[in-house]
Amino acid sequence: MKLKKVCGLLMGTVMMASMLLTGCGGPKDASGESNSQEGSGQEQSAEGEGGETSDDGAGSSEGGSANKIIVFQSKVEITDQLEALAEDYQEETGVEVEVWGTTGDDYFQQLKNRLANNQGPTVFSLAPGTESEQMKSYLEDLSDLSFVGQLAEGMANEMDGKVMGIPYTTEGFGVVYNKSLIDAEALKSTDDFINMLKEQQEAGLAGLGLSSESYFLIGHILNAPFAMQEDPEAFIQEVIDGKVKLKDVPEFQEFAKLYDALRTYSYNPLEANYDKECGDFATGKSAAIHQGNWCWSMFADYDIDFEMGLAPLPISGNDKITAAVPTAWYVNSQASAEEIQAGKDFLEWLYTSETGTNYLMKEFGFIPIVEGMENDTLDPLSTAVIPYLESGKTMGSALNAFPAGMVDVYLVPVAEGFFTTDMSTDEFLDQLTDAFVQAGEGN
Amino acid sequence: MAKRNKNLKNFAWYALFVFPLLFVFATVVLIPFVIGVGYSFFSWDGLPLNPKIFVGLDNFIRLLSDSRFLSSAVHTVIFTLVAIVTINVLGLAFALVVTTKLKVRNVARTMLFMPYLIGGLILGYIWKFIVGDAFASIGETTGWGGIFTNWLLDGKLALAAMIVVATWQMAGYIMIIYITGIQAIPDDVVEAAQVDGAGFWQTLFKIKFPLLMPSFTICLFMTLSNCLKIFDVNLSLTGGGPQNATEMFAMNIYNEIFSLNNYGYGQAKAIVFFLIVALVTLVQVSITKKREVEM
Repeated sequence: MKLKKVCGLLMGTVMMASMLLTGCGGPKDASGESNSQEGSGQEQSAEGEGGETSDDGAGSSEGGSANKIIVFQSKVEITDQLEALAEDYQEETGVEVEVWGTTGDDYFQQLKNRLANNQGPTVFSLAPGTESEQMKSYLEDLSDLSFVGQLAEGMANEMDGKVMGIPYTTEGFGVVYNKSLIDAEALKSTDDFINMLKEQQEAGLAGLGLSSESYFLIGHILNAPFAMQEDPEAFIQEVIDGKVKLKDVPEFQEFAKLYDALRTYSYNPLEANYDKECGDFATGKSAAIHQGNWCWSMFADYDIDFEMGLAPLPISGNDKITAAVPTAWYVNSQASAEEIQAGKDFLEWLYTSETGTNYLMKEFGFIPIVEGMENDTLDPLSTAVIPYLESGKTMGSALNAFPAGMVDVYLVPVAEGFFTTDMSTDEFLDQLTDAFVQAGEGN
Repeated sequence: MAKRNKNLKNFAWYALFVFPLLFVFATVVLIPFVIGVGYSFFSWDGLPLNPKIFVGLDNFIRLLSDSRFLSSAVHTVIFTLVAIVTINVLGLAFALVVTTKLKVRNVARTMLFMPYLIGGLILGYIWKFIVGDAFASIGETTGWGGIFTNWLLDGKLALAAMIVVATWQMAGYIMIIYITGIQAIPDDVVEAAQVDGAGFWQTLFKIKFPLLMPSFTICLFMTLSNCLKIFDVNLSLTGGGPQNATEMFAMNIYNEIFSLNNYGYGQAKAIVFFLIVALVTLVQVSITKKREVEM
């Protein structure tokens, strides 16, 4: 008897759900049809417009400039502040800013889905490099924004001589170390570094901590040997084409040696996550971690009783940290002309108005990249990046030029293999080379 | 006239119930499927403004030499074979236990069914903690390092962990189907067998199992297709690691499409995957159907 009732209920819900689904399907389909009719004459821009209006109801494309824009971006740390900024922006200019949330992990997929369905945001973020290259046809030329000329050199994402992406900030990463445990001045070579790892292990500490997340496991640390090449992008292409074997390149030999020493003298990164990596460092169990200035926020919950610094990964005598633009703003070229204008106005305001720059510097805690902007409230790690920037001891982020999905799909398995077996460094480098060749085939 | 009206009325009633579902089925299954078959002949990254290049059967030819796809096939086959056995044996055992006159049978049913309600993604994260951190620290404190190590760091053990979690999730669900099957067996048949002197095992194998064949058909079909298609547990528990040792079919396709942006090639993989799942399950159903007995 009971079962019958339950069955009936289940059937009922299924029916309801299907009715609802059909209900949703109807209007969307209809708008899609009207879209194609409108769009047939006026190409894609009209289609984009149609998609937008059907998405947010009230016609946003009436009049000269849109009174509502949608911002979708991947940096989850600033989501709350961005929402506050949206309110301030509406107060100052009357234009409503809708901020779409994301968990960060699947941001790029969500963005692609939305853009592909003509329901994309007006302003969005991408990692300059492979990502922005792939999305090229969706990006609007931003060269005419007034502050573009004042951006720090090489920071703007340029394509074919046009500025398409406005950088958020610059982020530096390398060896974040505990000044009371390590003397960074003494770390000049791979051997110095390996000696340090040995000493720390004898003292019962981990010399350098990594963690199992793809970029913290191998992505970031692998950037150094690539970025040290004369022309990293050409070098990556040569590896992909099979012309260069990483095993034969000195920087990579040293990198593998260091990675091998990590396996011997430090904890297994596959057993740690980001929280543990940072927690161990904050509580003095690790002398250093391979991280960047972004991880300062992780230390907020700890009473840190030591000073920390940022040092280069000293393979082959490297004395530079990686400093690069992690993400940049882009405007959706498929939105209506009014919305594009509103999107540009938003970026203009963000980088030039008092309120906007105040948010960039104080609320987001960004390292300034526009001439004349200054930030006197930087956290200690970001402050540690500045001297490197000023003395030019920085290298770019070669990993943004890796084939799409490279780090997660191809590099992580190799690193996992390395840390779970006793693979030799030569085998490790061979597998890395193969990974690039395979990843390159697909693209 | 009246008859025609009645026919029309009947038709309207059928339509009322059938069309909504038919519409949904067509829009979310049939049409995308056909479009998907079309995409599998292109090299494309999924963005409408980017070029679609017609490559004919190249995507399918490339599949044959894709070592990673082939090894994911091997993992899926091993996983499926073992998991089908464990899920069905456990599910059937549970069903036999909770259909006896056990006092706690209703509570037991609920508890055994519970894991299925939690959902694979969350189960995966829970078990990731158990077979990872918890096992490692049990091993450290007790010294039984043989079993209690971090299972997720070893390819074979990670696959075993996948099987354990899938079994834990599915066994309760399969149990419910077996329960209905067992309850449908008339008591007189079983009693007659017992009067004739059949013991527990004889009743089980000679009377209950033949009469349970319809349940076997359903359960094997469900476990077979679910195990071949497994994705959620795979994603949250092992993420395909270590070293791709637990990357299943579905995950390989997901990575190809969403991480590597090879929409067309991934679509080709998905078509092949569909054909395999359809073929295997059809063969299984036709075999077990033949062995069903009519009362």
